Amino acid sequence: MAKDKVIQSKNVIEINDLTFSYKADPGKKAVDNINLVIPKGQFVVIMGPSGAGKSTLANSLNGLIPGFLKGKYIGEVLINGKKVKGRQVSEMAREIGLVFQDFEAQLFSTNVNLELAFGPENFQIEREEIVRRINHVLKTVKLEGFEKRQPATLSGGQKQRLAIGSVLATYPDIICMDEPTTDLDPIGKLGIFNIAKELHESSEFTLLIVEHETEEALNADRLIIMGGGKILKDGKPELILSDVQFTDSVGIMSLQIPSYFKRLLNISKDKLPLDPKSGVSMFLDKKIIFNEDKYKEIIKSEDERKASYGKLILTVNNLVHIYPNGNKAVDDISFDIREREFMAILGHNGSGKTTLVKHFNSLLSPTEGNVKVYGNNTREHSIFEIGKDIGYVFQNPDHQIFADTVFEEVAFSPKIRGIKDEEVKVRVAEALKAVDLEGYEEEDPFSLSKGERQRVAVASILSARPKIIILDEPTTGLDYSEQKKMMELIKQLNMAGHTIIMITHTMWVVSEYAHRVAVIRDGRVIMDDRTRIVFAEEEKLKKSFLRTPHIVSLSNQVGKTVLSVGEMLACTGGNK
Amino acid sequence: MDMFLYVDNNSGLHRLDPRTKLIIMLMSFTVAVMFMNIIILALLMLLVIIYGGIGRVLGNLKRIRMVLIMITLFSLAIWTIARDSSDKVFIFSLEGLFYGIMIALKTNTMIIAGMVFLSSTKIEEISEGLVKFKIPYRGAFAFATAIRLVPMIVATSYTIIQAQKSRGLDLDSGNLLQKIKKYLPLMIPTIISVIRSTNIFSMALESKGFGYSSKRTNYLFLILKWKDYFMLGFGILLLTAAILLKTNTEVFGDFVSQFPWSDFSGKLQWSL
Amino acid sequence: MKEVFTMWSKTKMVVLVALSAGLYAAVLIPFKGFVLIPGITEIRPASALPILLGLLFGPAGAWGAAIGNLIGDFFGSLGIGSFFGFIGNFMFAYVPYKLWTNLGMLKEDEKEPDLKSGKKIAMFVLVSLIGSAACALVIAWGLEVLGMVPFGALGSIITINNFIPSVVLGIPIGIILFPRVKKWDLLWTDIMDSEDTLSGAGISKVGGLLMLVSVLFGLIGGFLAAFGVGQALFYSGFGAGGEVGSMGVIIVAGIGTAGLIISSFLQTYNKAE
Repeated sequence: MAKDKVIQSKNVIEINDLTFSYKADPGKKAVDNINLVIPKGQFVVIMGPSGAGKSTLANSLNGLIPGFLKGKYIGEVLINGKKVKGRQVSEMAREIGLVFQDFEAQLFSTNVNLELAFGPENFQIEREEIVRRINHVLKTVKLEGFEKRQPATLSGGQKQRLAIGSVLATYPDIICMDEPTTDLDPIGKLGIFNIAKELHESSEFTLLIVEHETEEALNADRLIIMGGGKILKDGKPELILSDVQFTDSVGIMSLQIPSYFKRLLNISKDKLPLDPKSGVSMFLDKKIIFNEDKYKEIIKSEDERKASYGKLILTVNNLVHIYPNGNKAVDDISFDIREREFMAILGHNGSGKTTLVKHFNSLLSPTEGNVKVYGNNTREHSIFEIGKDIGYVFQNPDHQIFADTVFEEVAFSPKIRGIKDEEVKVRVAEALKAVDLEGYEEEDPFSLSKGERQRVAVASILSARPKIIILDEPTTGLDYSEQKKMMELIKQLNMAGHTIIMITHTMWVVSEYAHRVAVIRDGRVIMDDRTRIVFAEEEKLKKSFLRTPHIVSLSNQVGKTVLSVGEMLACTGGNK
Repeated sequence: MDMFLYVDNNSGLHRLDPRTKLIIMLMSFTVAVMFMNIIILALLMLLVIIYGGIGRVLGNLKRIRMVLIMITLFSLAIWTIARDSSDKVFIFSLEGLFYGIMIALKTNTMIIAGMVFLSSTKIEEISEGLVKFKIPYRGAFAFATAIRLVPMIVATSYTIIQAQKSRGLDLDSGNLLQKIKKYLPLMIPTIISVIRSTNIFSMALESKGFGYSSKRTNYLFLILKWKDYFMLGFGILLLTAAILLKTNTEVFGDFVSQFPWSDFSGKLQWSL
Repeated sequence: MKEVFTMWSKTKMVVLVALSAGLYAAVLIPFKGFVLIPGITEIRPASALPILLGLLFGPAGAWGAAIGNLIGDFFGSLGIGSFFGFIGNFMFAYVPYKLWTNLGMLKEDEKEPDLKSGKKIAMFVLVSLIGSAACALVIAWGLEVLGMVPFGALGSIITINNFIPSVVLGIPIGIILFPRVKKWDLLWTDIMDSEDTLSGAGISKVGGLLMLVSVLFGLIGGFLAAFGVGQALFYSGFGAGGEVGSMGVIIVAGIGTAGLIISSFLQTYNKAE
């Protein structure tokens, strides 16, 4: 692509002393004195915690900053030698294509072909050429056969691929994607990574991706870590990611394999293995012993935990759900949940897992079969009644927050259930304490960060004092430290006696926190057992596009299944 | 709820240019508005139904059958009682009944004509047709985008209803004012989640060259073919005939005197 | 009036038209079943939206209300009435933001529609009433001209049906919505170049006053004329019978409608002038 373009400089991106503060927050430098040069054809991954300045950097590349998002702008950004500031975004769009996280908000057309044609039409490309480009791009983003489909009917992964395609169709020679995979399920993520890889291999593209997935960053030519608006590290991904102390300190997820070997053997970072395969060789080379007795201790404590579960509180019998359009979303599922269990439900989007859990609090009624919660058949009790025992935290906190103070938001559920004001106060205080938001009562929930809003949502469920809590993707869209905080919170709730049912795509979260895992595929439960037992079957999981965390893969190859770096250290002697 | 009205068959009607279909719809509106005559309106409805039958889109009428039935019943009931007339038996009048039939035919014909148009024309064709009619591109773009957003917003609001119900919101209880207030936890998150996307939406648009130039090319290729000219000619012929009939008081008067029960245009003498 | 056209050059305003219209239609459509006057109007909690959209997004809110209503009509009531529905709903959002600045009741420094004072809430109620009435006037007049629905019945039903949700839902939603919209830089007065935003001075004030008077004259005068030919308000408007298409109603309500439109063009006095 874009072969006819005259290369004006070998460096396609050149940023000199860029500092920017948003109008709304003039005191804070969103990016702070950035200097960056990116040569043509490079594949760069940018990582960092929320608020590091990644999106600000991305948006300054095509002139959205300072043209669209206003603020104080110092320094300069040059794309293909052109100074960005002062040019229209639409003009820069010919040089650099930008893809955003929210795929719903970047599709405008009523079918796939028109979506791809949109950019070229704006640039007054001739119709015949547009047709050629559409055919070309459809292949690149693997959407052949979808030409006439309405974007609304595509899956999340397909939508994001279409968004990428619609940018590619304008034939820019740089593409920057800002967290393109955050809202996607594992299959969707894989699709994007594959496209990125292929684009890179065509070698004319310069590719920038802002990402959270540490494991995927290994495929890049270059990794940039940002924090507090500055570039903290810039170099080969292997070198940066093997520096476990550094990644721990900036709050991005450290790779588990180097993390483990670093703590076990304390060897220098350039010798550390990065992935399970090289981890296995080192494990064997160093003749590390896997201590069976330690492992048995872990299993024993797990057995004890299982024995301590309370009574049967939720039973699902031969549940079938068929939507009015004939789609059989749940197909004969049966299982039981005991009090104080911590269950994770895995499966890609459309597998039926959300349909399944919506039966638990009577949001949906079974087509066939029954669900009983504390002995009450959900067919015979309304959501209002069942909802007293079972709370449901929806995926997006913004789908439920409506009040103008945190207190009112959290008080909504007990108030609507007719609880007296005094008692409501007690419950709100208790719920806010549980989510570590004491003192936030009078804050405006909309002005909080995503992680905090997610915790307000959890608190607003807790205030009804449900015994069972369902959480739908509680960590999606959060950065690593926020994810960790959210999961520790859920763990606390579980230890305090709540039964937890959690839908998630995040495998390390399941591995480290869930007691039990059910994998759903095409409306059926294909695996349902202790996490350790399910994660031992890597091949079977792979068929559902689920990949176990690196440390689990390593352990599966050298001994028994362990679920965290901590467990692995305990079983192999070192715990420094 | 399936929000898309378009029925995907490749019929002769579907292959007509959207401009043709739009003009034909407007012409049928014009005739429906012009006459207050049961026979003429019934003929018009028949024509509209045949036209929709060619496109095999009449199945879509099932989706609005409640509206059509309600309109019919309402018109019949209200006008049978309400129409001031000399033949009143108790509170009912035959003339009122016929008047009701006339109003029902008029309203339903327009609605069916609208439905046939929407069932046989894609959104992008409508918007491209509007552009060809010199509606500014940005207006047509906003219109088409809004239609595309509707199902998305409905889906979001559905999720929000479920989320709030899970927290104990019970929409069925309380008096009217309390019930209206219960829409707050539903409407606020819906509005905010939609409006929140404005900035990303605009950024994504500009990032794809929206506004690069006042001119743009078109991937959709609209051209009037002989079928379009034929249909348009046919439509103009009928419309002209209707206008002639309406304006030629002698002929029209003759026609009306044959079926005096069917016509109400004479009774619309403006009284000042 | 100028801003109604110049706004199309701003991408954000175009997007706000689409989002406002989508939002309005999405809230309208589920209530299509609850028909008040079949084919013409129905119960509309969605009516809380146009006033808010107008006050926050200005002309984009007005276009959005107009287009959104048209899309709502696609689901069961697209007809000749949709033409008047388009203009009526445009006015439903347009009149409030015009009057907000141009009636001269709010000082320059208290023009942000944050509803934080009693005065602003009173103003909100006033512009909601006039906006609701303007919408009712245009639609009821149009259908009276076509001889389809009596003015007295339709005018009164639409006014009340618009006004109640606008106040009951509109005020609490407005209080919560305003600070977010401001924070996200989406107030129309922040998006548009300042020469296209309103100033309530000079002829604009006259225009605002004329707009208020026209709407009230058209609607109330229309009702009185309608009583004269035997119409009545609300549902009794159907029961009472009377002539539909009466010249008196058409002329009086028509003068009001004309005044409404003419006054829009008078309110052109913008900040830069």
